[in-house]
Amino acid sequence: MTKRKSDLTKGRGRSAFQKFVSSDWGRLLVIDVVAVAIMSMVSKEYLSTFNLFVITRDVSTMILIGFSQAIVLAIGQMNLSLGAIGGLVAVTSGGLMAMWGWPIWLAVLVGLLIGVLAGYLNGMLIVWTGINSFIITVATNSIFLGLNLGMTHAKPFYNISATVKAFGQARFGFFPYMGVVTIILIVLMVILLKYVVFGRQILATGGNWNAAEISGVPVKRSVVLAHIISGFMAAVAGMLWMSQLGSAQPMIGVSWLLPSFAIPIIGGVALTGGGASIGGIVLAAFLLSIIQSALVHLQVDPYYVQFLLGLLILSAVVLNELGGRRRRA
Amino acid sequence: MGIISRAFKNIGKNWYRFGLFFVTTAFWLFFAWRATGFLNSFNIFTLLRFASVQVMVGFAQMIALSAAEMDLSVGAIGAGVAMFVGALMQLLGVPYPLAILLGMLLGATAGFVNGILVVKTKINSFVITLATSSMFSGIMFITTKAKAFTVLPQGFVDLSRVWTFGLPISPLVWIMLVVAIVLYFVYSATSLGRKILAVGANRRAAEMSGLRSSKIRITVFVLVGIVAGMAGIMDAARMESAGPIIGTEWLLTSFAVPAIGGTSISGGNVVVFGTVLGGILTGTITNGVLLMNVSNFFVNFFLGLILLLAVGFDRLQKAYRERTSVK
Amino acid sequence: MKQREAVLKALHINKAFPGVQALDDVSLTLQQGEIHALIGENGAGKSTLIKIISGLYQPDEGDILIEGNKVRFSSPRDSVGAGVGFIPQERNLIPDFTIGENVLLERLNQSGAFVHYGKINAEAKQWLSAVGLEVSPKVVVSELSPAQMQLVETAKALALQSKILLLDEPTASLTPHEVEFLFSVLRKLRDSGVALLFVTHKLEEVFALCDTVTVLRDGHVVSQSEPIEAMDRDRLISLMIGRKYVVTQLPSKPPRAKTPILEAVDIYSDIGSEGVSLELYSGEVVGLYGLVGAGRTEFARALIGDARIKQGEVLVEGKVAHIKSVADALHRYSIGYVSENRKMEGLILAHSVVSNITITVWDKIAKMLGVIRRTEEKVIAGKFVKRLDIKTPSLEQMVMYLSGGNQQKVALAKWLGANVKILIIDEPTIGIDIKTKYALHDLIWDLSANGVAVLLISSDMPEVIRLSDRLLVMKEQRIVGKLENSHMYEEMSQKIGTLLA
Ligand SMILES: Nc1ncnc2c1ncn2[C@@H]1O[C@H](COP(=O)(O)OP(=O)(O)OP(=O)(O)O)[C@@H](O)[C@H]1O
Ligand SMILES: [Mg+2]
Repeated sequence: MTKRKSDLTKGRGRSAFQKFVSSDWGRLLVIDVVAVAIMSMVSKEYLSTFNLFVITRDVSTMILIGFSQAIVLAIGQMNLSLGAIGGLVAVTSGGLMAMWGWPIWLAVLVGLLIGVLAGYLNGMLIVWTGINSFIITVATNSIFLGLNLGMTHAKPFYNISATVKAFGQARFGFFPYMGVVTIILIVLMVILLKYVVFGRQILATGGNWNAAEISGVPVKRSVVLAHIISGFMAAVAGMLWMSQLGSAQPMIGVSWLLPSFAIPIIGGVALTGGGASIGGIVLAAFLLSIIQSALVHLQVDPYYVQFLLGLLILSAVVLNELGGRRRRA
Repeated sequence: MGIISRAFKNIGKNWYRFGLFFVTTAFWLFFAWRATGFLNSFNIFTLLRFASVQVMVGFAQMIALSAAEMDLSVGAIGAGVAMFVGALMQLLGVPYPLAILLGMLLGATAGFVNGILVVKTKINSFVITLATSSMFSGIMFITTKAKAFTVLPQGFVDLSRVWTFGLPISPLVWIMLVVAIVLYFVYSATSLGRKILAVGANRRAAEMSGLRSSKIRITVFVLVGIVAGMAGIMDAARMESAGPIIGTEWLLTSFAVPAIGGTSISGGNVVVFGTVLGGILTGTITNGVLLMNVSNFFVNFFLGLILLLAVGFDRLQKAYRERTSVK
Repeated sequence: MKQREAVLKALHINKAFPGVQALDDVSLTLQQGEIHALIGENGAGKSTLIKIISGLYQPDEGDILIEGNKVRFSSPRDSVGAGVGFIPQERNLIPDFTIGENVLLERLNQSGAFVHYGKINAEAKQWLSAVGLEVSPKVVVSELSPAQMQLVETAKALALQSKILLLDEPTASLTPHEVEFLFSVLRKLRDSGVALLFVTHKLEEVFALCDTVTVLRDGHVVSQSEPIEAMDRDRLISLMIGRKYVVTQLPSKPPRAKTPILEAVDIYSDIGSEGVSLELYSGEVVGLYGLVGAGRTEFARALIGDARIKQGEVLVEGKVAHIKSVADALHRYSIGYVSENRKMEGLILAHSVVSNITITVWDKIAKMLGVIRRTEEKVIAGKFVKRLDIKTPSLEQMVMYLSGGNQQKVALAKWLGANVKILIIDEPTIGIDIKTKYALHDLIWDLSANGVAVLLISSDMPEVIRLSDRLLVMKEQRIVGKLENSHMYEEMSQKIGTLLA
């Protein structure tokens, strides 16, 4: 806040290429392309249609997980319960189909509703109590997870609708059907954050709470709204994941925490709030999926995967931060 | 002695924290009434032993929070250290006190790595430790192939097994209490404690007042690593097995325990004995719910609910005191 | 005088915070087409009253009437809707948004659920030219200079087209020229019928700009809506502080040391400072005058190791000093720095008065195992609380609950505790009331009389002329002149004026 910039000329007088590379998404695009190029040289299979399908399908959910966290980061908060929301939504909508034979559309609708309600609950609790979002969502995380496990006794539903299972495997060429859902949501996010008043108000709240409040921005409503969107994204991600696995697994979502933060942060979203670069998030989700599939492709000992994943994410975050800092300095 | 009378005075000033004490008591009464076998000495023994590990996990995060940092790698450090100590004892026959010391050293090293990364990269500690957490457990998996060490020396196992002073209290409980007293002393009476809290409350202002914040923050992460390592070792003693399962459930615990006890998540204050009570409360609930034959899958649910209630209650009380203290 | 209507009435407002009655039965009337000054010492309750009128705080008792109708604002949203605009003292902009969006933030939804950027930018452009800021509304606010940001704030307030405008110390970070411009904008508003409430600590501004004045003291109204013509400076001051106040002459002090204790030679730093040199002797006050943004703070930061020196060197007691951090400056070279930004850098607001004062000496008073004895700490803090006349209910009080002036004294006290030999004081009296200001002057004077070398950074001309032995004038990261101080205001201000021209 006390940062002083003395002139308006910063950023001028640089070539288009320099600007491109130094923008968050430009740098990421280069890294993504280089990573794919290296992998395609190492392994011929890497660029096979099927592998591209696997990567893109993985990316489809990763992007949504990234959005789910990013929208909350944009208001300067965190959501640690998004994985639990995804899991809860997957088992309820899956359970409704498998146990009671509900039609798909209704089960999906209920799933989305649960996601929205869970987000609403997070947001309302934060706004009402004034307690840090971290603590609230740590608590609701266990509540959602407890509900999920309590209902399912950690047993998956295998009997979900065949259509849903097929959807998870269907593709045009290498492009997964699932990707369509994600593309729609990407477009909606761009519109929301750029052109919709609600979206701008969310960013204003994250950018400077006091200023937004004094300017009549409904800050509390913006917080609740951000959490609702977060819950919605997690719900969609949970159901896509279910259709990809072909069964409603209670453990869906338990591994989302790391990517949910890594993707927005690598994508250039500040933890302090105020922004969310959609392009950056999408490219960061690609980077993460490329890394993951590379580890599988190179037949890395599974015991090493976790270590390498942590290391690579750490390096990506650090490199990105250093790159960004050089640009700002 | 000054410190003791001050401790009492603090208790007097923070009487409202006894809300937590009453809540814990209420749970004890409830479980004594509803959960069969809750009050038998064997159960009390296991409960307190489990709770003291919870308190230690809470202490680890409390130290990080006091400096306005977060350490998501406490679980990974705990598991890594426990397995390391187990390997030293089982494979190399290292005497257990030495193994424990070496284990704490490993915890300190892991903490040092976190601290250096956080300070040098200037990236939020949440993000750094999220990544190092994955790396630490990766290293643990690579080196141990995730096999637990179960052939542990008698002396080590006795740390959790024996009764002390004829009471159903395991030595682990005393270890936890000693750590509590040391931490209380550090935070209330030493310059290190003051500096940590100052950096936690306003890092920039602390730096501009001549404190070396980098050094202080690295120290904080080293302390977190040591305490998390101790928690891991204690958990291994408790389960008489040093395996990769240690630490997997600590994320919630580590934040819930200090938060229930009244430590602020945004830094600059700690309530050491509140954390002790917080750990006893979560330990009690876990134990009681399991005894009541409620599906243990619901334990998580209750813990989350209690965390919400406890922090919400704390807020209400504060708001109430503020309203009544005027004039 | 024109017939005026009361657009806003605050009646019998009470507001209490933990331990303080911030407002006690306060009433205020704002007329259409007037600029109404609201003045009072630090902690008198000015900001609290403004925040209540704008709906940010709720009163415990009392009513707000707008054009005769009782209103109840539960948030600033309501007050904006009712035509009340508010410029708080803190920055009020969203850094990552464009100027246009910031200016029209209140009315983003004016064309429905979607933001219409074309319309917004076109409209914002008008308001920008009204305040004389010729920058495209598409520029992102975080790229602007502080002065430009202040202009955006003003444009934002204008864009509300509100009937009532509340301004809480809007001039604190402006240069005299910018203040003049702001005043002309405000006068235009007044002439078009807007009612303005203007909070300031600078009495010159009250006389230059305002029509009526209300004085608050300790949460009470001591003088209500008096026309400015009937006021004079002395009476205002005595109303504010409750008694007649005489500014005492500064006593004479021993001559400064023979050799400089601090020398800066041709300093270039990575945040500013282009070839700055100075010498500082023990026992003198050197005033570093310049407008906001001249690079004085940047230079101070280079001296204390908070910014990297790219070229040039610093000598302390004749030897080259390597200062990499404030800790080095304090512990190795005995240099202290009182920040201009006391809330973010000067104080730990959530900690006690004791902790804030003794923070610089913890290492010194620590015994074995780093143990700090509470009693010893209290003795040290108590000494300075007494010496600087810091008003606090107890030594354990959190600093955030002290008034601005008392906070500033705490920020100064910690360096006195550390016994520094060189003290750099940055804008010590911004936002500080008159009485405290002179108390701080006495204190700074005392320090130098006791052999401390003081570098006083200030954009308050009377202040530097009153306190300094020598004067340095800074502009655009360089020192443009060094003057011996004759302490004659007219003469010195003219000399400074020509240097800055
Ligand atoms: N949020 C708060 N919580 C507790 N006390 C407060 C709060 N806000 C203000 N106060 C107290 O209320 C009194 C009035 O404060 P206020 O900010 O209105 O003073 P002011 O006249 O604006 O002073 P200044 O000139 O320093 O800005 C002070 O004693 C202050 O410490
Ligand atoms: Mg004020």
